[in-house]
Amino acid sequence: MRKSLAILVLMVISMISPALVAAQSQTAVLIKNATVMTAVRGTLENTDILIQNGKITKIGKNLNAPVGAQVIDASGKYVTPGIIDCHSHSMLDSINEGTYSVTSMTRTRDVINPTDITIYRALAGGVTTANLLHGSANSIGGQNTVVKFKWGHAVEDYPIADAPPGIKFAMGENPKGTNSGGRNAVPRYPRTRMGVIETMRDAFLRARDYKQAWADFKSGKTKIQPRKDLELEPLVEVIEGKRLVHAHDYRSDEALNLMLLADEFGFKIATLQHGLEAYKIAPEIAKRGTGVSIFTDSWSYKLEAYDAIPYNAYILWKNGVVVSINSDSDERMRRLNLDAAKVEKYGGVPEEDALKMITINPAKQLGIDKRTGSIEVGKDGDVVIWTGHPFSVYSRVETTIVEGEVLFDRSKDAQMRLDVAKEREALEKLDVNKADKAGGPPTRVPTEKRLADRDEAEYGDGGKR
Amino acid sequence: MRSTLFLVAVAAIGLLCGTPVNGQSYAITNARIVTVSGATIDSGTVVIRDGLIEAVGPNLKPPADAKVFDATGLTVYPGFIDALTNLGMPAGTPPPVRGAAPTAAMVATSNSNYPAGLRPEEAAEDELRGGDTQFEMNRNAGFTTALTTGRTGIFNGQSAIIDLSGDSVSAFMIRSPFAQHVSFATVGGGVYPGSLLGTFSALRQMMYDAQRLQALQKQYAANPKGMKRPDADKSLEALFPVVDRRMPIVFNANSERDIIRALDLIKEFKLNGMIAGGQESWKVADRLKAANVPVLLSLNFPKRTTAMSPEADPETMETLRLRAETPKGPAKLAAAGVRFAFESDNARSIGDFFTNAGRAVDAGLSRDIALRAMTLASAEILGVDDRLGSIEPGKIANLVVIRGDLFGKDKYVTHVFVDGKYYDQKAPPKVTPQTTRGQGENAAGLPNVAGAYAINIEVPGQPIGATLTLAQQGASLTGTLVSQLGTAPIRDGKMTADGFSFTATVDFGGSTIDIIFRGTVNASQISGTIDSPQGVVPFSGTKTP
Repeated sequence: MRKSLAILVLMVISMISPALVAAQSQTAVLIKNATVMTAVRGTLENTDILIQNGKITKIGKNLNAPVGAQVIDASGKYVTPGIIDCHSHSMLDSINEGTYSVTSMTRTRDVINPTDITIYRALAGGVTTANLLHGSANSIGGQNTVVKFKWGHAVEDYPIADAPPGIKFAMGENPKGTNSGGRNAVPRYPRTRMGVIETMRDAFLRARDYKQAWADFKSGKTKIQPRKDLELEPLVEVIEGKRLVHAHDYRSDEALNLMLLADEFGFKIATLQHGLEAYKIAPEIAKRGTGVSIFTDSWSYKLEAYDAIPYNAYILWKNGVVVSINSDSDERMRRLNLDAAKVEKYGGVPEEDALKMITINPAKQLGIDKRTGSIEVGKDGDVVIWTGHPFSVYSRVETTIVEGEVLFDRSKDAQMRLDVAKEREALEKLDVNKADKAGGPPTRVPTEKRLADRDEAEYGDGGKR
Repeated sequence: MRSTLFLVAVAAIGLLCGTPVNGQSYAITNARIVTVSGATIDSGTVVIRDGLIEAVGPNLKPPADAKVFDATGLTVYPGFIDALTNLGMPAGTPPPVRGAAPTAAMVATSNSNYPAGLRPEEAAEDELRGGDTQFEMNRNAGFTTALTTGRTGIFNGQSAIIDLSGDSVSAFMIRSPFAQHVSFATVGGGVYPGSLLGTFSALRQMMYDAQRLQALQKQYAANPKGMKRPDADKSLEALFPVVDRRMPIVFNANSERDIIRALDLIKEFKLNGMIAGGQESWKVADRLKAANVPVLLSLNFPKRTTAMSPEADPETMETLRLRAETPKGPAKLAAAGVRFAFESDNARSIGDFFTNAGRAVDAGLSRDIALRAMTLASAEILGVDDRLGSIEPGKIANLVVIRGDLFGKDKYVTHVFVDGKYYDQKAPPKVTPQTTRGQGENAAGLPNVAGAYAINIEVPGQPIGATLTLAQQGASLTGTLVSQLGTAPIRDGKMTADGFSFTATVDFGGSTIDIIFRGTVNASQISGTIDSPQGVVPFSGTKTP
């Protein structure tokens, strides 16, 4: 039925535009003879994957290549779903609006930079999807953007259009310690953990009143149209369950407090981000269907990380919590496969469940599991070809495909480096680029201020502008 | 050499005029006349009377009462229009230093509900000052008209189109307000918005608030009884014409992504938008064309400043490409059918405007389109083509007479007429090497700041060391600033009883920017602030023996 429908659709398209069909069949990719780690249905040996028009259309043995398809021989190689990073600040020209502790009106979509080289590097590490979050300077931060890393595409091609909207919350040291005014400024409220939760409750009380004010206006009870409030609208969506909350937290007492606050206002926390002490309250988290997105190490790297343990993922998994592993770092993002391998080592999470933590689990947490996160027919053609088992330190990404498009190809990367070197040589010879006779070139002020350390975006606006 | 040329030109004309002369009729005869709106006249006459162009033609007899300029071998153009400047505007109030308490200026200058930087009601018209000498340099280069606006804050405020003449603001004003101008900047000082994220949210919220306030005020005006009086918020009221598309809104955006962000906002609020700067606008020419958004295109092309450190990192590919590609941009915009007007973008040297227009022509831009982008096309974009931009009877008599090729190195402006006034071309003031006087106060009773200083520029998280060498002659300062950003001569150096100020132009992040130093001297110590497009940072230094 589905197939005949597809043929019918194809026929209709071909009647409309033969050129379009020609273009589309050229975008077909057939991966041959791979060891396919599907992330949901086990590992398939000597298997082919056909991707057409951006979607996985066939998985099986000895598949025929459609006319014009690109065929990749993956004999002896591994294929996984594209990795999903559930916590990233890559591509963002600005990360924290730290003047207020509630900045739900801000949108990371406004400041994404599709030319950030981090995107290409992430593809080289097998990452195809990321959750671009506001920083953790504020009790309630800005709205997130879930993107596919469509390197080379225009900015509007990056956000996943049907991904549910989300928002960043933050507990603990970062929101209470942020003081965007600098050393001499009047300290920003809140300054304590109790102040942080009060700030959140206050915001939700205001959002509830705001929702009521609009309801009263729409029912004719009031005459004056309320002000459209960009700060409170997203919080109304949270209360209505239409916007996912991704809450940065470290300590279990705070995570519990936040979940109780959510209970009070009738919504669910989508993910606890970091959740270094989440293992202490695993049953409470599981009961609410909240996900946890963690680092696999980084214990004790700051005071509120003191009780973090290597077995966090294992204990959460054992309790039935949907766990993902994130990077929160442009640098670590490229090695999420090794972070997943660590949960196999510490506690013995089975291989496929470990792989899920960087693929289908973050997809579930972000509400995009219907389209990506596993290798199944009908899903987006987001796949990675590895030289060996992805959990080995000796394996490297050879090819990364996003929606059927090869966006990283190690064999072409070497040639690209040569091309760039040649272009540089030519550019440096131009008069406009020639150094003055007086000496060498001026020192460049580095534009990338952020360190390759996690939690780097916590204070101030760590953007790349 | 230049002054010799000048003398020759004057001799050829056979006239010696005082400057300026008004209430007079002039005739420029035997000139090649580039009318822009019509065919070029190989040899003809332009008659000027009472501030307007009275007649243009090949076989015109000059009126009996006209002063006649024989322009044999010279070309007459419509006066050039600079489509974005801050001419006539006082130096902007610098945004607050991060972390500092709000300054008296921030608090006292306005009773707006919004902080400095978010006050669209601020208008160039209110800030401009009379006096025609302030435009001399630009006028001598051939400019007769400019769009001028403040340059600080997120809302730069409302711009004005002015003639570069006149003793009074009321006399030189052509149109005010013309447009609202916006930079993707921040308010700073710990005040929202403090980041690019917040800037977009703040802009959006103000647009929505303006729409609502306007609706409420209308509702109230129709029937005030039983309705709570809506606010009289002058900041939001200043946005009414913007949200209604009655007033254009100009976004300062150079990078491809900032231009796209501006276009997205224009689309979101259905604004009558324009882009200013537009260094990478050629990369989004199709979007600009589709949205029918014109560009006030900067001719301040990125260039390499004096070299400095031998152990410096190589420049980024982005920087190298930007310098190579920018001059090719105008031709690409023209090919895509995007409307644009040239602007000087506070170039270090106003001569760069024509040099770089010439580079754009060398890179494939037609001479005609290049000329229109500084005359009639600019007037069209600024909505004043019914009175400016071409040589036609009835239009304002803004004319420039040139010897040599407009885009060539031999270009020399011989006559300028603004509002029918003839401005004699003065030779540039001679720059004599200035020597440092002895210690102590200068003759004028001013503090002496002359000497070499090791200074520290406190860029947050990234302090920059520099050597500042200053020479002082009375109230005038000259010298150089040597830093990792290059060696920059200082200009506009002034010493007053309150302190010193000067401007240096440095190459920062691939573009040329002006940084303005303001400070005081105390024995061998100097300190103050530096105002740059990136914000304000403090500096301090000690005299080196």
